[in-house]
Amino acid sequence: MPLINGQRPGTIYLVSSPNDPRSTVPDRLASAGGLSEGVARVLSRDTGLHEADIYGVGSFYHLLARPEARVRVCGGLSCQLAGSREVLSACKAAGLPTEEISCLAACDRAPAVLRDRRTLPSVTVEDATRSAGKVEDLCSTDSETAWLGTIGPETQSMGTHALNLLGEPDWSAEAFKAANKMGPAALFDLLEESGLQGRGGAGFPAHIKWRAVAGQAVQKRYIVLNADEGEPGTFKDREVLMRRPDLVLEGLAIAAAATGASEVYLYLRGEFEVPSGVIAQAIAKLEETNRYPDITFHMHAGQGAYICGEETALLEALEGKRGMPRLKPPFPVEVGLWGKPTLVHNVETIAYIPGIVLKGGAWFKNLGRTEPGTKLYCISGHVQNPGTYELPLGISLDELVETAGGYVGTLKAFSPGGASSGFLPASERGRALDFKGLGSLGSMLGSAGVVVLNDTVNMRWAAEEQLRFFEEESCGQCAPCRIGTHYLHAAVKGQEKSLGLAHVGDVAWQMNEGSICGLGQAAALPLTSALKYFPEDFS
Amino acid sequence: MSPTTQTLLVDGHVVELRPGDTILNAANRADVSIPTLCHDPRLKPVGACRTCLIEVEGARRLLPACATPATEGMKVNTESERVDRHRKTLLALYLTDHDGTQEHGQGGAPNQLASMAREVGAPTDWGQLPSKRRGSIKDDNPYILFDPDQCIACARCTRYCDEVESVTAITLAGRGSETTISTADGISLLDSTCEMCGGCIDTCPTGAMTERKAAEVQAPPESDLTKVRSTCNFCGVGCQLDLNVDPAANDGRGLVVKVTSPPVGTTSNDGNLCVKGRFAYEFINHEDRLTTPLIRDADGVLQPASWEAALAATSQGLAGVMERHGKNALAFISSSRCTVEENYLVQKLARQGYGTNNVHQCSAT
Ligand SMILES: Cc1cc2nc3c(=O)[nH]c(=O)nc-3n(C[C@H](O)[C@H](O)[C@H](O)COP(=O)(O)O)c2cc1C
Ligand code: SF4
Ligand code: SF4
Ligand code: SF4
Ligand code: FES
Ligand code: FES
Repeated sequence: MPLINGQRPGTIYLVSSPNDPRSTVPDRLASAGGLSEGVARVLSRDTGLHEADIYGVGSFYHLLARPEARVRVCGGLSCQLAGSREVLSACKAAGLPTEEISCLAACDRAPAVLRDRRTLPSVTVEDATRSAGKVEDLCSTDSETAWLGTIGPETQSMGTHALNLLGEPDWSAEAFKAANKMGPAALFDLLEESGLQGRGGAGFPAHIKWRAVAGQAVQKRYIVLNADEGEPGTFKDREVLMRRPDLVLEGLAIAAAATGASEVYLYLRGEFEVPSGVIAQAIAKLEETNRYPDITFHMHAGQGAYICGEETALLEALEGKRGMPRLKPPFPVEVGLWGKPTLVHNVETIAYIPGIVLKGGAWFKNLGRTEPGTKLYCISGHVQNPGTYELPLGISLDELVETAGGYVGTLKAFSPGGASSGFLPASERGRALDFKGLGSLGSMLGSAGVVVLNDTVNMRWAAEEQLRFFEEESCGQCAPCRIGTHYLHAAVKGQEKSLGLAHVGDVAWQMNEGSICGLGQAAALPLTSALKYFPEDFS
Repeated sequence: MSPTTQTLLVDGHVVELRPGDTILNAANRADVSIPTLCHDPRLKPVGACRTCLIEVEGARRLLPACATPATEGMKVNTESERVDRHRKTLLALYLTDHDGTQEHGQGGAPNQLASMAREVGAPTDWGQLPSKRRGSIKDDNPYILFDPDQCIACARCTRYCDEVESVTAITLAGRGSETTISTADGISLLDSTCEMCGGCIDTCPTGAMTERKAAEVQAPPESDLTKVRSTCNFCGVGCQLDLNVDPAANDGRGLVVKVTSPPVGTTSNDGNLCVKGRFAYEFINHEDRLTTPLIRDADGVLQPASWEAALAATSQGLAGVMERHGKNALAFISSSRCTVEENYLVQKLARQGYGTNNVHQCSAT
């Protein structure tokens, strides 16, 4: 029977691992209002866990570590281009307990501000001043519909748009029934035919993971939804969760049935209070109608850490630990949540499943241009209508921006797939935005969080901001990334006299070769690409 | 080697595969040395320090030798240009975040990071970063000093405390470049569950976690100390320990400046000690320590005496009590600081020598 651990929408959900109180630690810390002095000891008495362990967990997640901050202004590139630093100063001047935070997945509604756990879009200096220091009064637009961003293109249909975010939710569970009738083997073939690639960043073929989980000897398996959406410039999953919860939950149910899992964990970033309410209501609705009788949905709120979007860090977080990525191999399909085979998928990937089941693999494949399917492109920064656009996979930047109403100013550079993809020069504006092509450029499509920068932007500054992000969000576990991000950030900032840019190449090489996970492996790219394409900004 | 033996190749050497082997184990048996910092054979590998990365044929990425299982037919290469560049650049990066000029830290603790950087020839001119690690273990415990600047966040101390001591008094805390070692809320170790075993010091590769008393007396580097292997005399377990003697100190009479445990895997205590063995050594050079037997003279004043005289006086006294009050007027109490063998002899003396069962040892209750 579907359940959400008996919690109200919009609150913190306890993950139930039947025997391990550890998995409840982040939620307990959140319920206690964060890691204030003495909290670790109290929770240690409640759970029987060591107080140092609890402290270690609390100090890892920024929403827990500094409970006194209740207002957090986004310091991401798109928000800074929209004046977030002025909003930050205004909040501080108004006496609000404020700090800066990494991208809030609301770059299309910049500048974004997090008030407690709720992301407020388009906050202005006036909003901050008007609050007169009362956190509750910092509201700007605070209704749930204010959370919906721009979606394009304006005309969409299920025939031409695999997700069709503008379409009406469909609770019939027809695709689920059809998939069950088809059976796992045929479904996996269908996925293979569709060519569906993971949309979380790596573009890994979905059918391989499904087959791997289904083929494990261990009978207990889990499905995990990665809704941690933290890659700067990315906000598409937010739109999918808000607009098409039907597709997300049906996709998860199909995955569970096909791989022999009965428990599904949904990991939503903690700042997604509003989308999490929408999903919780949707689960409740399914529960009422008993749509997926053999599947249990568990919701889990993140506590503030970009790295928990990395799938093994996410699993650690679900288990209640510090979100430090695991060594791979073994991969989650073999050894995942609580050591069991686990299928982890991004929100967008999973939402394509019902459509593929109903309309076929060839249909999906043919929707793409250079690679299979349509794709949600997020676009923000210097464009007229920042938003989420479902377009054939492989369109160019110029085409994307045209759909988004055109450039603001003269294009100088763009980030095709979040901070991790580095920067590309305007000369690449005609290139296909796909996994393979961008990969061959030494960049990546990643999460397709496209950020456009015009010629008012200094690329040294842009690189510095991205490095600041990576230094703050590195889990700190492995030296190449922990020290490398610190080094590059300090070097590009130019404050430390003894550091120059002479060793950037070697540091970047080491980070790429030596780091445990994708964060450290890619983190030097904003700087190395800026140096490569825009040397004049460094002289 | 029998024909069914499974093998792998490490730098061209054929190595017989053993159950549970990691690449590091197999390489060690082939006398191929791979640098490690976060590895301690007593702990589960985490592959965090990245010093041991090597190339395996067919693998796209470099792999951690300490955490990668060795498998049949594997071809391991630790001598390639790529591995060499990896070691040099990784250690150069470490040096920007730590003082690598000193091969020993406070209290003379060896700093393996510095010696390793020298051995691999890591560049030293990449500049210096300001350390962002806080020293949150408040400073008032008498035994353990934590120097956050030297800490490489390898988590050997926290894993030791958790996996070997089962105490978990300390944890990795914070995130990113601020990652450090801390107790809960940064309280003093004395207010935590810490048992002061000092195992965190023993496993620490950089001297970031070190003996406070050795630092206070500014003990010289361990290479200048004389290590005297001894058996801990605080209890009957018989842990082996090394008294680290500064021969020049104490006006040339020598001074024990710290106690360290013998290397892991060499003695039965496997690198472990408890608070007494590791830290309660000051009695050795204490002015109140008795260094000769004493006998009371006619006025009841203790006077130095020879062992012969003292033993004779004792035996005489015991015989006198027995004669006047019977054998059960005697009782023998031995110390837990005696060895098992000595305790055995004491009860033998009581039962056989004096015919009484009044015998006790202070740790018997
Ligand atoms: C540093 C880092 C951050 C990531 N963040 C996210 C994220 O926020 N959302 C996501 O779905 N995948 C993220 N990923 C990718 C996941 O590790 C994983 O590949 C993905 O969830 C798999 O789902 P997919 O096959 O549907 O793409 C991240 C990876 C790295 C290395
Ligand atoms: S690369 Fe960075 S984020 Fe990834 S495990 Fe290493 S320190 Fe953590
Ligand atoms: S002295 Fe022992 S118990 Fe205390 S922190 Fe160190 S390892 Fe843990
Ligand atoms: S104190 Fe020593 S053992 Fe502990 S993490 Fe730091 S360097 Fe490693
Ligand atoms: S929400 Fe501010 S940059 Fe993404
Ligand atoms: S010794 Fe292998 S990674 Fe540290």
